[in-house]
Amino acid sequence: MRPLDPRLLRYARSIRVYLAAQTLIGLVTTACVIGFAAVLTRIVTGALDGDSLSILGPWLGALVGVAAVRALTVWASETLSMRAAGRVKAELRGKVLDATRKLGPSWLARRGSISVATLSGRGMDALDDYFAKYLPQLILTALVTPILVVVIWWQDWVSGIVVVVTLPLIPFFMALVGWATQSIQRTQWDTLGKLSRGFVDLLGGLATLKIFGRQHRQADRMRTITTEYRQATMKVLRVTFLSGFVLELASSLAVAIVAVGIGLRLVEGGMLLSVGLFVLLLAPEVFLPLRNVGTNFHAAAEGVTAAEDAFAILDEAATLPETSIGSASSVVNGGTAGAGLVFAAVRAQHEADAPLSHEPISAEVLPGKLTVLSGPSGVGKSSLVGALLGFTDFTGEITRDGVSLRGVPAGERDWLAWAPQRPGLTAGTIAENVTLGDPDPDPAVLDWALETAVADDLDATRDLGVSGAGLSGGQAQRVGIARALYRMRRRDCAVLILDEPSSALDHATEARLVTNLRTLAAEGTAVLVLSHRGAFLEGSDTRIDLVPIPVPAAEPIEVDA
Amino acid sequence: MSATVTPTPSVVNTRDVLRAARPRGKYATGGLLSAIGSALATVALMACSAYLITRAAEMPPIMYLNLAIVGVRAFALARAFFRYLDRLFSHEAAFRQLETVRVGLLERLLPIAPAGLARSRRGSLLSTLVSDVDEMQNLGLRVIQPLLTALGVSIIAVVGVALLSPGAALGLALALILTFALSAWAISVVAARAERSLAPQRANLLDSLVDYLGALDVLVAYGAEPAARARVDAADKALTTSLVKRASGTGIAAAALALFTGVAIAIAMISAIPVLHEGGLSGPGLAVLALVPLAVFEVVANVPLALGAWRQVRSSAERIAGATDAERASDVPAEVGATELVPVPGADLLSFSNVAIRHPGAPEPALRIDSLNIVAGESLLIEGPSGAGKTTLAHALVRFIDYTGSIRLQGTELSSLHPDTVRTEIGLCEQAPYLFDEDIRQNLLFAHDTATDAELESLLDQVGLGDWVRERGGLSARVGERGALVSGGQAQRLALARALLHEFPVIVLDEPTASVEGDLATALIADLVGVARAHGRTVILISHADVAGDLFDRHLRIEAGTLVSAS
Repeated sequence: MRPLDPRLLRYARSIRVYLAAQTLIGLVTTACVIGFAAVLTRIVTGALDGDSLSILGPWLGALVGVAAVRALTVWASETLSMRAAGRVKAELRGKVLDATRKLGPSWLARRGSISVATLSGRGMDALDDYFAKYLPQLILTALVTPILVVVIWWQDWVSGIVVVVTLPLIPFFMALVGWATQSIQRTQWDTLGKLSRGFVDLLGGLATLKIFGRQHRQADRMRTITTEYRQATMKVLRVTFLSGFVLELASSLAVAIVAVGIGLRLVEGGMLLSVGLFVLLLAPEVFLPLRNVGTNFHAAAEGVTAAEDAFAILDEAATLPETSIGSASSVVNGGTAGAGLVFAAVRAQHEADAPLSHEPISAEVLPGKLTVLSGPSGVGKSSLVGALLGFTDFTGEITRDGVSLRGVPAGERDWLAWAPQRPGLTAGTIAENVTLGDPDPDPAVLDWALETAVADDLDATRDLGVSGAGLSGGQAQRVGIARALYRMRRRDCAVLILDEPSSALDHATEARLVTNLRTLAAEGTAVLVLSHRGAFLEGSDTRIDLVPIPVPAAEPIEVDA
Repeated sequence: MSATVTPTPSVVNTRDVLRAARPRGKYATGGLLSAIGSALATVALMACSAYLITRAAEMPPIMYLNLAIVGVRAFALARAFFRYLDRLFSHEAAFRQLETVRVGLLERLLPIAPAGLARSRRGSLLSTLVSDVDEMQNLGLRVIQPLLTALGVSIIAVVGVALLSPGAALGLALALILTFALSAWAISVVAARAERSLAPQRANLLDSLVDYLGALDVLVAYGAEPAARARVDAADKALTTSLVKRASGTGIAAAALALFTGVAIAIAMISAIPVLHEGGLSGPGLAVLALVPLAVFEVVANVPLALGAWRQVRSSAERIAGATDAERASDVPAEVGATELVPVPGADLLSFSNVAIRHPGAPEPALRIDSLNIVAGESLLIEGPSGAGKTTLAHALVRFIDYTGSIRLQGTELSSLHPDTVRTEIGLCEQAPYLFDEDIRQNLLFAHDTATDAELESLLDQVGLGDWVRERGGLSARVGERGALVSGGQAQRLALARALLHEFPVIVLDEPTASVEGDLATALIADLVGVARAHGRTVILISHADVAGDLFDRHLRIEAGTLVSAS
């Protein structure tokens, strides 16, 4: 782990202001440390020289005053760090979401939307410790330590040498201990991970264990697992704590050497008590920030790992061209009824892990017709819709009313209503889901949409959890269809596309849906359904078949004989 | 076979959980003593150094300094050494206690799982339970030990200072008490208030992120992306505000330490300097009084951290105590009854009469079965909408939950049998079969540990997983954490293979197609039922989806809370 990743400075600009402010706090802190030591030295030596309380009174006031300023910097540093952490997290998170938008839904599907959500949520929270505990100490190490070393050297060069020699020993020994124990630690952490998962597994599988009559010896098994866990962990910790031991030992021995050295020179009369006491008070402060950096190193490393995962996404997005493929000026807006879609030799970009691709297709989706697009699973039916929506790259040409769709940014298709295979519902009421994107919902259209999608058995005011939790697969599917129908009616969309609308529906519901969609088509809408279910194939006016071709395994390397 | 004593499932409160988590024994004592030793060495190092140089400045013969020089070196070594011992001992003690906590929790959960476990809106609490149990380690490490150490060192230091100057000791005691009080106030009032809102705010942020990222394609296509993005930003802002408030609270506690260090020294000087001038105190004594508070406050600096850790440990303990739901647990059958099933000649395999089954903890029955007889080898389909009590019926049959009325297995009432005995006759393939983070072989073998690889492979072929397993490199292929590498349909097939291995005469399949859709679901059900029947098992499949009824001997449906014959 690098102490301060330059990418953090590049991607999270708000961190610069924070670093500047924290540096200022660091300087004030340094001044407080030196001031406190100087004032306390003055009080003690003054009292020994016979100064009365009335002479020392102002100095005592100054002592408390310096302590008060120090208290203020401590508080300011804590709140400032958390504020900065919040701002940097928000900035990074915003950039990750922007990058995800740019990389598109198919990238997100491959990467896993939950994993990106966890990274931008909990993962980023790990940065809190990095900002609150690690970075301020790092700045203090960079500021306080050198300044104090200079001050000590200036006051008493012998003590200065002791400090300068001991100081580098700390990182040196820590690195040495870390290096020597790395391989032990790695194997031990693997064991630890396994043992820890054992407990998770046991709790998760309680019911399963009972079904198979296996629950009775589990308490003993748990005891064994935990004992093994303890023994393995202690083996690691015995070594890990060594680096802490080295830190403590080096810093306290250095202070001891300084103190004894000063004592010996004082007794010979080669030094003033005021100098000796002042240096003695400063010596531990030299080591304090470095000790804190060492203590908080691991907490910080966790946050940095999360940040690095975020950087990887940002770097990936940065390699894409800006605002995908230049927006075309010939954008067609508004729902001009009676428009049709034409595919000319289109092939959607093949997904990395799909086993099949398809022959380029040429077809028309006409108003007034129920068109069914079929083909085996994994052939790229959804990718073809992705191309139409502007999410996926494609070869060939897709036009609507003779105007090419190439380069029209995703989201600028007012003529299109679409229901994806996975409904993609969000938290909120069913009504809110169905009227998505409509600032002024129309209850009559909502009722019509639910009824046409055969979802009128659902209560529109029902509250759904995250990702539409609370609905069964079939219910969610029908709400997704209703959402497309609502948009179609409200925006006068000429084209309706449903991706596998009946995969989770029973036959009776499916039949009603087919009838309703046929009625819609008859009213003039171009309806395109992706399905290979019999009910839709039988009910279609037009069929488009995607013909699969095997994907060539890998580019063969030709070797000339 | 008398079921006289019904042991009530052990329900505990937060206090019990905390008591069980408190480290005990020689390691805990050793850890505490080492911690105090290390802290005392810190204070002694400071006192000794102050004495050494002030005494040296009086230029006595060097032999008067020898003891102080040895002291400085010894305390410097002792501080690091005791710290190392402290960390070793106290971690050993914490891990030993973790064993007790884990085993205790397991013993509490086992008899009542799964029906007696409390449920949150997000489902089972088990996932958070594991990290909560791990959090209990911190009770000894980060709460009790630092607090006792700070308290012990404070008392010893105050007593030590009192020997030199009672006035300075009073000042130190006063400053320490004020620091403790102010820290406690800042941590438990200011920081705690903010912290209470942290968990819901974190969850809210994650929810908004999951919604945004999970439906990104839809949001973009419907022009609703900016609104969803605004929700993420608002959740983020609320969370940051609480975090800053909490930091402000911990900041106040840390600031109090810095301020009162100065105050303690000032009071010590004000009371000690007149005594020095009257000759009641030596010069080195004054230096010791001036410098000792610095070291004492360094030790006390752990108090705010310990108070913060206490809050987290306590809320984990609350969650652990709340993992069992007393009301739900009261519906779980006791683990008593006859351990042998003696078939009554001529009795049907299963016969239900006037049966009512409640959801765990619910007052009213969800499902009634007036009369139903099932003969051996039959296959039944039971259909019903979500929430109709289908899973509860499955759980009643394997005695995870009680029923009223009569269910007889080969003529013997289910409730008179030990639940374990019932579960040798009736097996359940759960809606989401649990796969252990092991290889495929282990996931099958625990159902029947003497099966050979050849038997396992032939069984996998029968449930339609032969090619899939071979592709993945055979029986030693792993299934991933919680079966992450296995799809819903494959998990169901593995679960059936497991049930067939265990040779349950009756197999209940609970919504095998819950996570499988469309044509794949139809194929899955045909395969599952076909294989189970080929093995001569009695099959009860319950489902909410439209399943082809022609695979089954009988087709039943739950209508208005009652099981009726379909068509």
